[in-house]
Amino acid sequence: ATLAAPAVVKAQTAIKWRFQTYAGAALGEHVTKPIIDAINAAAQGELEIELYFADQIVPTGELFRALQAGTIDAVHSDDDSMASPADVATFGGYFPLATKQILDVPVLFKQYGLADIWKSSYEKVGGVVWLSSSGQDPCHFNTKKAITSLKDLEGLRLYTFPTAGRFLTQFGVVPVTIPYEDAQVAVQTGELDGMAWSGITEDYTVGWADVTDHFLTNNISGAWIGSFFVNEKKWAELPDHLKKLVMTAIEAGNNYRDQWYWGGEAKLRAEGTKLKLTSIPAAEWKAVEDAAKVFWKEIAEQGETAAKVVKIFEEYNAIINKAGPPYVNG
Amino acid sequence: MPDVIKSYVRFVDTFNRRVGIFAMYLIFAMFAILLYSSLSKAFRLPANWTLESAQFTMAAYYMLGGAFAMQTGDHVRMDLFYGTWSARKRAIFDIVTSVALIVFLGFMLYGGISSTTYAIQFNEKSFTAWAPYMAPIKIVMTFGVFMMLAQSLSSLFKDIAELRGRPIA
Amino acid sequence: MSYEFIAITMFAGMMVLLLTGQRVFAVIGFVGVVAAFLLWGEGGSEMGFSSAMKLVKWYPMLTVPMFVFMGYMLSESGIAEDMYKAIHVWMGPINGGLALGTVGLMVIISAMNGLSVAGMAIGATIALPELLRRGYDKVMMTGVVQGGSTLGILLPPSVVLVLYGMIARVPVGQLWLAGLLPGLMMAALMAIYVYVRCRVNPALGPALPLSERNVPFREKVRLLSAGIVPLGIFVLMMWLFLSGIASLVESSAVGAICSALVAWWRGRLSARLWNDVLQKTLGITCMFMWILIASLCFGAVFDGLGAVKSIERFFLGNLGLEPWQVLVLMQLSFLIMGMFLDDTAMLVIVAPLYIPLVQKLGFDLVWYGVLYTITCQIAYITPPFGYNLFMMRAMAPPEIGMRDIYKSIWPFVGIMVASLIIIGVFPDIATWLPNNYYSK
Ligand code: NA
Ligand code: NA
Repeated sequence: ATLAAPAVVKAQTAIKWRFQTYAGAALGEHVTKPIIDAINAAAQGELEIELYFADQIVPTGELFRALQAGTIDAVHSDDDSMASPADVATFGGYFPLATKQILDVPVLFKQYGLADIWKSSYEKVGGVVWLSSSGQDPCHFNTKKAITSLKDLEGLRLYTFPTAGRFLTQFGVVPVTIPYEDAQVAVQTGELDGMAWSGITEDYTVGWADVTDHFLTNNISGAWIGSFFVNEKKWAELPDHLKKLVMTAIEAGNNYRDQWYWGGEAKLRAEGTKLKLTSIPAAEWKAVEDAAKVFWKEIAEQGETAAKVVKIFEEYNAIINKAGPPYVNG
Repeated sequence: MPDVIKSYVRFVDTFNRRVGIFAMYLIFAMFAILLYSSLSKAFRLPANWTLESAQFTMAAYYMLGGAFAMQTGDHVRMDLFYGTWSARKRAIFDIVTSVALIVFLGFMLYGGISSTTYAIQFNEKSFTAWAPYMAPIKIVMTFGVFMMLAQSLSSLFKDIAELRGRPIA
Repeated sequence: MSYEFIAITMFAGMMVLLLTGQRVFAVIGFVGVVAAFLLWGEGGSEMGFSSAMKLVKWYPMLTVPMFVFMGYMLSESGIAEDMYKAIHVWMGPINGGLALGTVGLMVIISAMNGLSVAGMAIGATIALPELLRRGYDKVMMTGVVQGGSTLGILLPPSVVLVLYGMIARVPVGQLWLAGLLPGLMMAALMAIYVYVRCRVNPALGPALPLSERNVPFREKVRLLSAGIVPLGIFVLMMWLFLSGIASLVESSAVGAICSALVAWWRGRLSARLWNDVLQKTLGITCMFMWILIASLCFGAVFDGLGAVKSIERFFLGNLGLEPWQVLVLMQLSFLIMGMFLDDTAMLVIVAPLYIPLVQKLGFDLVWYGVLYTITCQIAYITPPFGYNLFMMRAMAPPEIGMRDIYKSIWPFVGIMVASLIIIGVFPDIATWLPNNYYSK
């Protein structure tokens, strides 16, 4: 039996992963699927990844747990939405006003040390390995009613991220968290007044622009911090050359997403017909920026890691503020 | 049947009936939460906890009520043949196919315990702005599964007694 | 082992186990968890509970206990009896009048509940005994009650359409509005059928003797008002929901609370009634939700096997059919599965496989929701597996035998298939109302 034909040996050693993304099928087509397709094509059968979209195998709130238990093998999500128990989880997704542009995220991770902090944070939790983080779109508001002043936020039920939701509560927003794929319908059934979830590219891609009428050009964060995670055991079992392949494909995917969002935001703001743009005057928006600084302080007090991350955000924001445009035009 | 089994059946049936009656009244909690939710929306700021707490109450409702619904025969069966059989023949089939019921609930229990342990160990919170702890609802759900498993065994014992010609009342 | 083979084994295993009469949820869940465990190993062992956690987040399911409660509350509160008396005094003089009135009763009850159970309960316990006493044909009337009560899932509010909306990601408001005209059309077809048959053969539904309908006009009007109350609750609930004042689940709770208030106002709210209604609501909800948990688990595994792609390949590639031909084939396979399978399970397991295909073919998912729901109605009343058949067997007066029950449904199956074809050919019947109401 040990002398089986090579073809059989190869078939036996093919590694299979079940991979679930936070994104629904329409968005996942752009943010996750290209990476999986690239890996599957290049691995030539040595590694086969089956991609599942939001809530397909497990509900998004159980993603971390499922990844740790091995119900799924790898995940693309922000730490916040997947209910990660890591001490960096608050910063995943949209940490209020921490970033200005999509490229800030890779810079913060690769030049300012966030990568090491994330890596060791997940080592402490155990069972799950953090692979890579990248930037995505900014977090704007798309709503049924127009928002032209801070007062208009009062009483709005918005689909948003947990941390963003806690932050927005002070302005009267009622944050609602439901499965991603249900958000569009929830606007139509009256459960939601809109979303504080994404940039305009996503609004058009997933159909939210069909159910809301207005887009607020102010955002509560300039770019989403999202990550790729893998089950610890599955990662350890993967041969080095495949690890390299996975990492390379993720980096290529990050690159694709950078331009897809960056171009999409400009084009749809300029030429999109489904959403009317409105703004809150800069002087009034200052209250939100000031509130974010207070919020950062509160979060920094949660622990050593949180303090370290907040300090990096402060340091980086000081630098880009000093550097001026284009770094600070959000 | 041995006395210990008879006592088990009596205990489980009584206990699950009480739990079921408790669950039955949870619908009033759902009424209250949803009514408050619609009123708060009309007259002041909508609350951020109502939808999720209504969901949790509903989960408790059907997870805790599941065993009682087994007693009252509410879990539907395809009775094309089953409906025409004698009590004895039904008992025979139920004894054999209760493997399916017990295996399913066994897996549910395993998953429930694992998920609840995780929730307690990591202080898991729901990923919403309200962010309630997940352990309480997971404990309730797992307990519901456990009592359904207990009810399945009780039914199995009753079927065996039926087969031996001396039914447990 | 190929994935197709595994998928077929799972499906066949489920069908065989269902025939043994074990509880539906246990059979589906068993196949689901075992398949997950065998395919995915230890990691797959938590799929069952994971499905339960997924269901917790399906907030529209909160409408299930609400609409079931509402239906039972009204059927127990005496309103149904008054409505029935109103039918006697107003419709009694016509041949087959009571039968026509029963169709109308079924429409009103359908506006008060999300499933067909309340209609069945009222029809079998209140209407049937009276109709038989007055010499109405038992086979025809059993059919009216069975077929008429299924309108509960097509006319809003409908739990089946809520569930379809969850799976197809289509707004419930649009689906409910889409179901309204087809539901009324189907009711009209049933009424025409009954009228024609009684016209041809008056012995099937004799007119009432004058002595039975000699009621003062004031009393006649009072009885008629019994029908106003349920319609009032229906209008209130739909208005709250469609205008956006209350959300779907909130308006369902308002409807449920109103139904209890009506029972209280009519002095019927005894401890016994509470107990009856609460227990039945719990029983139906548990049955429904546990089948959903099991089906979600089964469906996730099925989905994981790539069944969606296989089906697309099969219909579009291998058979090379036109879109409408694919649609007809899908509907036929749904009809056949609906005979044997629980409709909730059918929706959760099979619909996720078909809906992407329907979308790909360019069909309107709201319209398809109506076609799907009519298929469910047929599934409810066709042997061997049909909820309404079970309930009829349990609740019908003793003089109605199994043979009568089976014989009674076929004209109504015919009407439903005809409706399916009419709405298939003229989609506007379903889509006109929602498109106009929701045009942005
Ligand atoms: Na209805
Ligand atoms: Na059927």
